[in-house]
Amino acid sequence: MLSAPGREPVTVLELEPGRIVELVGSPGTGMTRLGLGLLASVPGVVAVCDVRGWFCPLAAWEMEIDRERLVVVRCDDRHLWPRVVAALVEGVPGVYAEVPVGVGDQELRRLGALVRARRTRLALRPLRGPLPTGVAHLRLQAEGIGWEGAERGWGRLRRRRLQVVASGKGVGGMERTIVVEEDGAGPVRVVSELGVGAGRRALG
Amino acid sequence: MGRREAEALCPEAVVLERDVAEETRRFEPVVEAIEGVIPRVEIVEPGLVFVPIDGAVRYYGGEEGVVAAVEAVVGSGRIGVADGPFAARWAAVSARPGRPRIVTDTAAFLASLDVATLGAEEMVATFRWLGVTTLGALARLPRAAVASRFGSPGVEAHRLASGEAQMVQPRTIPAELAVEERFDEPLELIDQVAFAARALAARLMDGLRRAGIAPHRIVIEMERTDGVCRRRVWRSADPMDERAVAERVWWQLRAWVGGEGGVIRIRLDPGDLSGTGRQLALWEDAAARVETERALVRAQSLVGPDRVLVAEPQGGRMPAEQVAWRRWGDQPSPPARDPAAPWPGATPAPAPALVPPEPPLLEVEWDEGAPVRIRLGTRWEPVLGWSGPWRLLGRWWRGEGAADRYQIVTSVGAFLCVVRDGRTYLAGIYD
Repeated sequence: MLSAPGREPVTVLELEPGRIVELVGSPGTGMTRLGLGLLASVPGVVAVCDVRGWFCPLAAWEMEIDRERLVVVRCDDRHLWPRVVAALVEGVPGVYAEVPVGVGDQELRRLGALVRARRTRLALRPLRGPLPTGVAHLRLQAEGIGWEGAERGWGRLRRRRLQVVASGKGVGGMERTIVVEEDGAGPVRVVSELGVGAGRRALG
Repeated sequence: MGRREAEALCPEAVVLERDVAEETRRFEPVVEAIEGVIPRVEIVEPGLVFVPIDGAVRYYGGEEGVVAAVEAVVGSGRIGVADGPFAARWAAVSARPGRPRIVTDTAAFLASLDVATLGAEEMVATFRWLGVTTLGALARLPRAAVASRFGSPGVEAHRLASGEAQMVQPRTIPAELAVEERFDEPLELIDQVAFAARALAARLMDGLRRAGIAPHRIVIEMERTDGVCRRRVWRSADPMDERAVAERVWWQLRAWVGGEGGVIRIRLDPGDLSGTGRQLALWEDAAARVETERALVRAQSLVGPDRVLVAEPQGGRMPAEQVAWRRWGDQPSPPARDPAAPWPGATPAPAPALVPPEPPLLEVEWDEGAPVRIRLGTRWEPVLGWSGPWRLLGRWWRGEGAADRYQIVTSVGAFLCVVRDGRTYLAGIYD
């Protein structure tokens, strides 16, 4: 769960047992860190299914995922991928998995059924295109990002703010926009929540 | 054969759900009969019991005498005798009704068994693929090699194959770990007993979890208003979790409940506590750990052991240098570069979450040393800000030239770049 300091936790950003969270955003939008932030609060071993082979555990360690409980499984074969993730779901309490291009809808739905049966927590990051409707309980899509700290040749990256649109059954079928922040020293934090439904006035 | 295959072959087949509680109830008279001959019967599941016979052998004048006494009360069961529960189980499986199997050379008996007797499907499939088809062949492999390839499930399999029968070392049971409940109103209804069983199992596991240990045996005691006191031991090859304990308590109590008198006392004693030689870490649950290890062994069998990895920190200045990978299950080795040593000029936090193993070329337009725009896919993105250059001197003694690092910020993300010999490479994505 990602929470705001000094406020009640915002339960919308949570990996619930038996549910899938879909993370949508191109590389650079911060969705890997958001996925790691969701994994950080899962007890026990957590696994990352790395399709591209680019996953760097430094980010996970900064987010307070102990190195002894983080396992990385590399699988770039879209035919093998469903079986690998299913194997992880059957015993690992929390899994973050990139989804390679070409995995079939039916396989994803079967994975969803397995997640519900095993009460595993699963975050999926499709590398291209959205997941089929109904697979994910909650969809988090990156809308806008901003970095502080790096100026015109001086300073360094210090803090990122990411605007995320949450949709799906996990937010009661409405869309909500949330701003999260992280600075590489601890978990991702929710800093504000704008309750926005499509076509309605914004609340700050 | 799976259910669908069976139904396809025989459409009129009727599928019944297994009722373990009912099986336990029907098996109870058999257990009582064996207990009348030898005490300390331990149930694994309805139909399978273990009995330590060292004391009974002296009483009955030998193993044949013990077996004859048990045969006289159980009739058409299969009986096996060997050193340790694993070998005894397979001795019983290989026996026939009326023809018990008494194994005198347990090591030779185990060596002839197929690896399928270990039960872990994925690991057994890998053993076969490697040409290891019997427990004897497995026992001849160096244990360190098995541990490296298969982790702790492999070590456990090697121990069993080697005849190291006891999976756990019995420890002195701290008395305060047992739980007991007395009921002012005797429990007469099955539902009341089921509820009490679940609550007591939860209390027991709470206490064990806090102590960082998990049971492989559970002693269930029940007392009724008519003064009857029953006691039964259940054992499991794997550490029991709360659900496993609650199930066994429920099955056993259901087998006993009925007849005159309600239940006035239930007691649960954990036994044969896991003797792994270490305390469980605070976040660790022994039964969950077993499930997790099985899942990871399965993943290894699908993608290969070199693609199921754990990372260790290592000294270095670039993110790719600061991580050392090892196969899951391998023992960690000392880092090549001390991560605790000062590394002046190391890339500061936050670290990029994505680091390409081979930094690809990145198209960047520069204007007098300042990045102006970068090409991401098919689009050019304007640079909103950047930090750098931070110089990397390189390993000049190996012919490496100097390079400059930059953090480049665009509206779609931030990127760690290295410029060397006039060319820009992508070293990380702050995802």
